[in-house]
Amino acid sequence: MPSKAEDIMSGFSLNWMNLRDADSGKILWQSSDDLAVPDAEHEARVPKKILKCRAVSRELNFSSKEAMEKFRLEQRVLFKGKCLEDWFFEFGFVIPGSTNTWQSVIEAAPESQMMPASILNGNVLIETRFFDGDLLVSTSKVRIFYV
Amino acid sequence: MGLLSLLRRLRGNTQKELRILLLGLDNAGKTTLLKTLASEDVTHITPTQGFNIKTVQSAGFNLNVWDIGGQRRIRPYWKNYFENTDILIYVIDSADRKRFEETGEELNDLLEEERLAGVPVIIFANKQDLVSAASATDISNGLNLTQIRDREWHIQPCSAQSGEGVKDGLEWVIKTCGKKK
Repeated sequence: MPSKAEDIMSGFSLNWMNLRDADSGKILWQSSDDLAVPDAEHEARVPKKILKCRAVSRELNFSSKEAMEKFRLEQRVLFKGKCLEDWFFEFGFVIPGSTNTWQSVIEAAPESQMMPASILNGNVLIETRFFDGDLLVSTSKVRIFYV
Repeated sequence: MGLLSLLRRLRGNTQKELRILLLGLDNAGKTTLLKTLASEDVTHITPTQGFNIKTVQSAGFNLNVWDIGGQRRIRPYWKNYFENTDILIYVIDSADRKRFEETGEELNDLLEEERLAGVPVIIFANKQDLVSAASATDISNGLNLTQIRDREWHIQPCSAQSGEGVKDGLEWVIKTCGKKK
């Protein structure tokens, strides 16, 4: 018998993600594969020049068939499994049958502290976990390659 | 302009977080306004079927802008997003004269809302680039904005499409946020 939790999970889909230079608003990478496939690790081939950006935005778009009361996400940027940065965001209510975007803008580390593309390449993973209260609704993993 | 520079200027405010709520009827130009603020391409915007959130972080200070869809079906859900709002941005399509009454009613409902009591409101009289657009003064008179006494308010003519007037509106937001500590 399907439970409410199962309805929420099966009615949730991650539609697309992108990365932008936050100063110019230009898209530097946009997902092409079906991000809704659960548990798969996706690959993003991002131009190296993103490391020169003063600020970068990460944007994701998701749909939910069911209403959610306490929707939140946790996003971590991992380098070789070590957490470089984390975001916690509380959305609260999600409208049933809605499609929504969340975009976070963050200033880059000073260039002197920035690791070179050759070291970062393939070692950076953006992991986003979506929750309704304590229920894990979905997880997305995107590995970054700098080209 | 841009949201990061806006945020940089808001630093030093005692508050650590600022929540801006962006409302208005469907097709008023809320999402376009939000994208223009971030210098993003505005040529392929589709009706918002939920919300768009931009969250900007700088030196431990957070700015969250909540753009909620304006379609009739979605409006009953607006109330879920009122809590903790610092500034309300209400966007009007100045050329959509047929719906001035409707947009006025929605705005009035918001102004009477307890959870938004005292929250400063800026009304963007958008789409001033269209020939048929009503002036900000006409809209202000038509909607009886001058009767607003219980909060700070401002009407700003703008074109979210071209960006004209948007910066001036933001100046008001910054000034108003600076005052409330």
